Amino acid sequence: MTDRAGIRISRVSRVFEGRGATVQALDDVSLECPAGSFTALIGPSGCGKSTMLRLALGLDHPNDGEIRIGGLEPLAAARQGLTGVAFQDAALMPWRTVEDNIMLPLDVLDKKRGAFRAKVDELVDMVGLSGFEKALPGELSGGMRQRAAIARALVTTPDVLFLDEPFGALDQILRRQMNIELQRIWMESNATTLLVTHGIDEAIFLADRVVVMQSRPGRIGQVIDIPFARPRQSAIFSDPQFHALEAEIAGALDGH
Amino acid sequence: MATETLASPRPVPRRRMAGQGRLGTLRNWGILLVLWEIVGRLRLVADGALPAPSAILQRLWIDWSDYPPHIWATIEGASIGFLIGNALAIAAGILFVLFPLTGRLARGINIALFALPPIALSPILVITFSGMTPRIILAAIGCYFITMSATVTGLSQTDRRAIDIVRAYGGNRWKVLRLAQLRSALPSILSGLRIAAPNAVLGAILAEFGGGGRFGLGVYLIGSLGRGEPDRLWGIGLAATLIAGLAYGLFSLIAARLTGASRAVTMPAAAPSEARAKGFLRETMIVLASIALPFLFWWVLLYAMGTPAMIAKTPPALFEYLFLSPQSATNLGKLAAALAQTLPMTIIGMAVGLAFAFALAIGSVLYPVIVRAFMPVALVTQTMPLVALTPLLVLMLGRGHSVILWITVSVTFFPAFVTMAQGLSLVSRAALDVPRAYGAGPLKQLRLVTIPASLPYVFASTRLAVPRALLGVMIAEWLATGKGLGNLLNQSRGYLDYGMIWAVAVVSVLLSVVFYQLVVLIENRVLSKRGMSPAQ
Repeated sequence: MTDRAGIRISRVSRVFEGRGATVQALDDVSLECPAGSFTALIGPSGCGKSTMLRLALGLDHPNDGEIRIGGLEPLAAARQGLTGVAFQDAALMPWRTVEDNIMLPLDVLDKKRGAFRAKVDELVDMVGLSGFEKALPGELSGGMRQRAAIARALVTTPDVLFLDEPFGALDQILRRQMNIELQRIWMESNATTLLVTHGIDEAIFLADRVVVMQSRPGRIGQVIDIPFARPRQSAIFSDPQFHALEAEIAGALDGH
Repeated sequence: MATETLASPRPVPRRRMAGQGRLGTLRNWGILLVLWEIVGRLRLVADGALPAPSAILQRLWIDWSDYPPHIWATIEGASIGFLIGNALAIAAGILFVLFPLTGRLARGINIALFALPPIALSPILVITFSGMTPRIILAAIGCYFITMSATVTGLSQTDRRAIDIVRAYGGNRWKVLRLAQLRSALPSILSGLRIAAPNAVLGAILAEFGGGGRFGLGVYLIGSLGRGEPDRLWGIGLAATLIAGLAYGLFSLIAARLTGASRAVTMPAAAPSEARAKGFLRETMIVLASIALPFLFWWVLLYAMGTPAMIAKTPPALFEYLFLSPQSATNLGKLAAALAQTLPMTIIGMAVGLAFAFALAIGSVLYPVIVRAFMPVALVTQTMPLVALTPLLVLMLGRGHSVILWITVSVTFFPAFVTMAQGLSLVSRAALDVPRAYGAGPLKQLRLVTIPASLPYVFASTRLAVPRALLGVMIAEWLATGKGLGNLLNQSRGYLDYGMIWAVAVVSVLLSVVFYQLVVLIENRVLSKRGMSPAQ
């Protein structure tokens, strides 16, 4: 059994029927993320990693198999405020200020905004957006928007955090900075985290283990443990062991 | 300086282009006014049917004391109708998005409301209701479809990710609607209201044509039509255009203020669409129900209002009038004769208007100067109530066939041109860069990229043109030529032939719907083959 904060995906399949073509996005996939762990999902486009995330968020339903977040159905877990999520491209609502965007989950979950005042201020401070609380997303840089999205994901103090290529739209330099910040934030929050990413170095730097997925049909190819101690410093990007892991994951992505 | 950049093919910085476009527009308006003044002064058109602007203003000044009650009456009818029609439209749009089945069932009613020529309904409304009510209803109908589709488009084109983020926290449909969709649909709804505003004015004036009431610009217009005073008619037209234009401008201003904040920050990623599993029986039932509902609606409405049966014809009563009673043969004959006069005119006028619009839209891609200088003029003309235009054209062109064609062409041309030119200008730079990189000239780019990419807009403007063309022909027939469905409607009104009034109304609505559906059918065929989706 998983405890309150774990993710359990068991024997899940998802088929998309398009026009004429049938796509097996996920084929009999099982994955278990223990409480407090950081798992990275990596794989080529179309291997079903985003589908997996959408299933875990309750945005989509599997054709077969089941998913439990802390022992609950995904949607039930979401309604209890157990989960937090940050999507690719920030997905901030352009008409809400930074502050209002961060508080969006509270509005959805019908929680009193007043009780979270201190939490919001703390998060704004933590992601380095102090002074921009009243700014609109259009007035921020890409990195700032992404940090606002991370703050939004954390506002409910979630036990389970889903990150869907949260830094996919950022350049390499900014991405590294954000990775270091995310590690710090994650170590403070202790949330079970599932990160979907395209970046091999990002996956190694952040995760306890990297799950390599393969496409057609979407399935798990290999699971690679990352042994680095935390907190990890940016120096490990040039560690020989880091390069060896990169090579291993690249090999797994090619299907070796 | 300005002429130099105009002539040179070098790319000009965007900011300067915009400023120059405005200047060009102003200059074009100036030239137009001066030409008009000269033509008017020399009485070149139909012996003074086109008076000089200065003469129109002078007359307006003399008549000014007559105007206020008429203007207020029209504004009252139009604005109450605007409020009611749009409130219903937005509520309906929300309902259709929340429960898509309701949208499919209401499809018949929606299209009928869009396609019905208001002038056909005007006599019925005037005999059924009294006072302001007919004007309010026609103004409301004029707003309904535009705002309803703008609401549906806005709500359903909300950025997927904004919806996902709400749903990911367990938000239900209402939460998604309240937190993500409504606000993001606001610009779309506002641009709908912007187009609906002149339509409300048009609707109110058309209802005034049908009689009932001493005041209103439509009443004033009809009253002045027989007296052969072109300058007064032009003054009334000007006042109507001004009201419509102000309403359009007001909502443009509100929209411009609001859209700044909600413009998407990043490009939306399209979600994978899944083919819907279809049950044939269920689909057929839905289509049949959507066809039957407008008739049911008509019947129930009459029943609920308790209008005397002699005036209010229910579907069976109309059937009896046309097919079962002793006079049926004469009735049908009259109707068929009128139809035979109206139909060819509508088709020819529409085809010419659309062809002209397409040619000019293409031309505007090859010579962008045209768009910059002409588009604002076209937009202003679009807000001009059709009815204000008609008597003026009658004065200028007489009462023959040519007037019908001119009216039909002019009512279909402007909206079609605006839609097509916008569609052509939306073609992405990146798509054009590919043929350009291989050295394709402007014509080849047009053929390979621009025209295929703008197909959805060509169809959208055709859909838009169908009801307008029929409306234009019927108005011209009513006011000028004394032929066709429009005239039959006007005559039957005089003879108190209620059956015929209803018959013409129903036939013209059906005609419009059939035309519209035909365009939709071809559109779906062509676009789905090319993997495109219809433009709104």
